[in-house]
Amino acid sequence: MSSSPMEVDAQLPNGNSIAAVAAAAAPPSKFGKLAESLKLEHQLLRVPFEHYKKTIRSNHRSVEKEVSAVISGVSDAADSDLSRDEAVNQLSSLVSRLQGLKRKLEEGNRTEHLQAQKCRTRLEHLECAELENMSEWNSTRLKRILVDYMLRMSYYDTAVKLAESSNIQDLVDIDVFLEAKKVIDALQKKEVGPALAWCADNKSRLKKSKSKFEFQLRLQEFIELVRADNNMRAISYARKYLAPWGATHMKELQRVMATLAFRSSTECPLYKVLFEEKQWEFLADQFKQEFCKLYGMTLEPLLNIYLQAGLSALKTPFCYEDDCTKEDPLSQEAFRKLAQPLPYSKQHHSKLVCYITKELMDTENPPLVLPNGYVYSTKALEDMAKQNNGKITCPRTGEVCDYTKVVKAYIS
Amino acid sequence: MELNAIQDSFERVAKRQKLSSSKSKELIIQVGNEIEQALARIQSGSDSTVSVDQKTVLTELKAKLQVVGSHTHLEGPQRELNTNLSRHQKLLEKGLHPDISRACVNADLDRHILNQIIICHFYFEGLFDIVDCLIKEAGEPEAVSLRLQYQEIHQILEALKSRNLEPAFNWVAANQERLKESGSDLELKLHTLHFVDVLQNQGRAEALRYAKTYFAPLASRHMNEIQRLMCSILWAGRLDKSPYPDLVDPIHWETIAEELMRTFCNFTGQSIRDPLSIAVAAGMEGLPTLLKLANVMSAKKQEWEAMRQLPVPVELGKEFQFHSIFVCPVSRDQCSEENPPMLLPCGHVLCKQSINKLSKGNSRNFKCPYCPEDASVAQCKQLCL
Repeated sequence: MSSSPMEVDAQLPNGNSIAAVAAAAAPPSKFGKLAESLKLEHQLLRVPFEHYKKTIRSNHRSVEKEVSAVISGVSDAADSDLSRDEAVNQLSSLVSRLQGLKRKLEEGNRTEHLQAQKCRTRLEHLECAELENMSEWNSTRLKRILVDYMLRMSYYDTAVKLAESSNIQDLVDIDVFLEAKKVIDALQKKEVGPALAWCADNKSRLKKSKSKFEFQLRLQEFIELVRADNNMRAISYARKYLAPWGATHMKELQRVMATLAFRSSTECPLYKVLFEEKQWEFLADQFKQEFCKLYGMTLEPLLNIYLQAGLSALKTPFCYEDDCTKEDPLSQEAFRKLAQPLPYSKQHHSKLVCYITKELMDTENPPLVLPNGYVYSTKALEDMAKQNNGKITCPRTGEVCDYTKVVKAYIS
Repeated sequence: MELNAIQDSFERVAKRQKLSSSKSKELIIQVGNEIEQALARIQSGSDSTVSVDQKTVLTELKAKLQVVGSHTHLEGPQRELNTNLSRHQKLLEKGLHPDISRACVNADLDRHILNQIIICHFYFEGLFDIVDCLIKEAGEPEAVSLRLQYQEIHQILEALKSRNLEPAFNWVAANQERLKESGSDLELKLHTLHFVDVLQNQGRAEALRYAKTYFAPLASRHMNEIQRLMCSILWAGRLDKSPYPDLVDPIHWETIAEELMRTFCNFTGQSIRDPLSIAVAAGMEGLPTLLKLANVMSAKKQEWEAMRQLPVPVELGKEFQFHSIFVCPVSRDQCSEENPPMLLPCGHVLCKQSINKLSKGNSRNFKCPYCPEDASVAQCKQLCL
């Protein structure tokens, strides 16, 4: 590790220099660190907010729709020649329809209220993070991150259990993920119904993000028809559902249409792959991504993001040596494997950890050098000298010397 | 980040939402009232002599509703609500990091390794039923021996919480040899706790009997402490006012739990701190710097992936320092076996390569760059950190 792979002052195309980042990375105060770490919690605040927004929108939409339906019901009645009894019946049914709408609105309001409360709870949770309760707050955060991981991996029971046992139900998004579960379960059973319903539900937002998930679902349905040799139905299906995508996705459309000629038994790799089972897994993955995007979640589980950053920051060539202390997570095979593709950390300053006390040496507790060149902290050697009549035994070589023979080393 | 600003902005959203839904309710009620009135007029026509033409009533109602229901009522509040909703979303995106995965190298972490790490974490925390659930759902193999180990220590700690020392004594008895070797005084500490407990709850006679049975074997190693304990018998019932008030401090129950856990981890070769917690906490400290780096490097995605070493240091707190690292103050290189740190006679430390350069390849004496003291290569001593 004698030279860095990149010049420290390398100028990047966008005019910023890495040195600027390095300067900004100067050790921040403890308080600054806390504020910085709270900024990582976008998902915690965003997901319940998106959920809230969604409820607001759908409540509003249903009021608009029902009210205009009632009004046009009145118009229709006014425009046709109704008898008195017919008119009475018609109006009464509209009145009861409105009563139903009112009940629905009240129920919707309750949901909105609950979701707003959830948003507040999370803000309060961030607010109560202080230096004094950091270790407790950190352990809650780890639990939150683990629940997020379980939910994304579809380990729902474990997620629910962990959230309940740590009493953090309001800080995790089990309800949101259960919505996804229905779709994923169906896709695993090769049913596209719930996924299409979800697409219809979120039509405008998917369109905005130029998602082609619905097209992919339709393609798969078409493929299934071809697989079943249901060619006539496949063609009419394609006319109805695939043609509208032609303007933007012609190439894919053509490729899939060609399967009508090739059939499911084809050996031509370009088309064979379309009939493979893993296309369904691909759809499920695709759905997860779209789903996370829609709720403002990260695409990767939070655990992966935190672990990658943490392991990279911890990774030094020393972690892989045999005498690596077991307190270092990278002394364990599992963590080493995870860290294998990650970059090593970079050090600008010396950091000496005493072999005996495992404490960081600093000006308060400066390093001392034995005659054999081994370095230990002042605290450790003073203690040893006191207990052994001024004699020091090097714990790594067994050599014995007088405390008076040790010299101070100045390490900047 | 201004949490207050986010809170305020959210309350504005919530207020607009209430306003908007109360407007919706008003509209529903208004439309309902109009229809009911019309209904009443039509119905009243049937039993009065004045004939009411339902057609006229309906046409009037239609006209009225067209005014009421033209949505202008809903549009205003709804528009304001929408403005506040998008403003709040922008505030979240600006005030916080909207996508922390930008700092990911995007290495695919192996799911099974991750699950095993999580299982170990839950064992460490004593969450055995959650492990059972995860093993079932994820189809992971169980680490039976690890589980048994942790079950033992968690049973001991659980019992300690209800002031039951028996499992702890059993463990100490089973590990007597190793405890003695490591110079641990766990046994004495446990007996002290028990002795004080007996003294306070069962009286002097019992305490004496206890001391006779258990203190004798410890006498040779812990004379002072035992003398203190025996003396405390004189203050039975009012230990808090004795010269030994520390004996009744409940903190001992917590420290003994910690010490048991530490010794246990030592013996089983586990880390005393949970490795997953450490790695994730380090990630939390490191991510802000990595995110800044990701912003600067956005144009160089491949370089990010091919990176062997981060181009900037990520400063972590001292609880994350496990290795001695020497960075030469002259060359800024991280030292290694090939290029070890060297101690100059003045006490300053440079790396071997820097010293070679300063001495022109060992051909002459040189001055320490930190103090003007002269040194020769022969005087420099290689350090082992």
